[in-house]
Amino acid sequence: MKLIDLAAIDHEEKSAADIIDAVCSELGFDYASYATFNPVKGDVQGYANYPDEWKIHYGTQGFHKFDPTLYQSVLSIAPVDWGRFNHDDKFHTVFRDAHDFGITTRGLSVPVRGPYGECGLLNVTRDCSDDEWDKLKRHVMGDLQLAAVHAHDTVMQSGLLGKALYLPALSTREKEILQWAAVGKSQQDIGDILSISHRTVEVHMRSGREKLGALTTPQAIGRAVSLGLIAPG
Amino acid sequence: MIIVIDGMNQHKFKDILDEMYQLRARVFGDRLGWDVTIQDGREIDRFDTLNPAHVVSLNDEGNVVGCMRLLQTTGPHMLADVFNAILDGEPPVRSAQIWEATRFCVDTKKLGRGRGENSVSYVTSEVMIGSFEYAKSAGVLDSIAVIDPVMNRVLQRSGNAPYDYLGTAKPMGKVVAMAALMDCSDERISGIRDYAGIAHDVFLTDEQALQLFAKSNVKPQPKPANFDHKPLSQMEKYFVEQMSAATTQEEVNAVLRLIEELSDKFTPEQKIALMRSPRALAHGA
Repeated sequence: MKLIDLAAIDHEEKSAADIIDAVCSELGFDYASYATFNPVKGDVQGYANYPDEWKIHYGTQGFHKFDPTLYQSVLSIAPVDWGRFNHDDKFHTVFRDAHDFGITTRGLSVPVRGPYGECGLLNVTRDCSDDEWDKLKRHVMGDLQLAAVHAHDTVMQSGLLGKALYLPALSTREKEILQWAAVGKSQQDIGDILSISHRTVEVHMRSGREKLGALTTPQAIGRAVSLGLIAPG
Repeated sequence: MIIVIDGMNQHKFKDILDEMYQLRARVFGDRLGWDVTIQDGREIDRFDTLNPAHVVSLNDEGNVVGCMRLLQTTGPHMLADVFNAILDGEPPVRSAQIWEATRFCVDTKKLGRGRGENSVSYVTSEVMIGSFEYAKSAGVLDSIAVIDPVMNRVLQRSGNAPYDYLGTAKPMGKVVAMAALMDCSDERISGIRDYAGIAHDVFLTDEQALQLFAKSNVKPQPKPANFDHKPLSQMEKYFVEQMSAATTQEEVNAVLRLIEELSDKFTPEQKIALMRSPRALAHGA
């Protein structure tokens, strides 16, 4: 089983690395990484912005074969605070060394499950006090969920097969709502037009954005238009 | 009280999960007549093998009285793969901030009417509070729940009305299934808490859950080999004593061999009783 640094081999697919960097700078984490398991070979592949020395040490020690932030976290549907891991030999082996490279046990793993049952993980860490950590977690949990699914989809959509499988399947409602947004209607307006609550509009909008891999509604409209899913407003 | 069981801690809670699968078999198989697979009195489907989160309610005696299963809508889930008829051919929603809730049920046999602590209404609220608070802390904003009209009315009456539905209600066994949308917001959670009068933290730690569940598991000691309710003969008494005194599997096997050799001294019923019940004793020792 190999550990593959995607940033080092695939220069066209920088965007997952960009997401990792953005998570750190915008949400206030020291380091972040995204990892997924290759379903065929079982390799662990991903991006990380940890110091290079730690990445090399991690790979040469083969930590990716038993790191609890990978193998424990995929078993959860909710983000896992590293405080929840059992403090067993595997945990100590990874985190004792991590400590020497300035990486603490204060972190979170956000598991993503894809439509074909494949799993991905966004890991973030920050060295700070208990209070600060609790406050940070509450504040950024939603954004982390979004970042995790974006990083995952970006990696999965690289490669032709992935692109074909991941062609967004928008529902009639999602298309309808994006179409109204494309002609400049607010969420409240769209709710009134379609006789549904603005909360329902928001749910379809959010789902549509994520299917299109868009962070904002304007971006989603742009992609939906370019894919021919809706008409230009 | 609520315990959340997922892939990370399920090894500690095999017995609780087992009781939960039995509750689901009674509710979805027997009472609602859904098209579910029941084996050995347990309802388990393939989504249970995908490490979902189970929100489980234990009563004061430590019995499983309610449960709900949570899955991410980004991955395989029931509305996408099983209940898609509800969506009228439309693709399902997909978002990291929307979770799917399925297999929501409470034990109507163990729970009464009214609104007290051991009522259907109280446990329903408790399971909903547990799921919404767990989802909210995970950064989830909305949940889509597959429910039947009875549950829908219970929700509407308990300060927890769905704000909308996806697709249309569809017949599913003896009842109808529908996909209800509920926000995982502070307003909704406090609405349910006010209605049910639940102000405390509903979550148990893993250790507390195990202790509480252990209370329900104190089984009455099996009686010695008199299933046929006749007084024991001297020879039966002898075998029961031998079996109770056996400390290793070899000794147990030796007693069983002796019973076998002397089978002509017993009626078939006596023999079966002897073979079965002392072994339970020996196993418990």
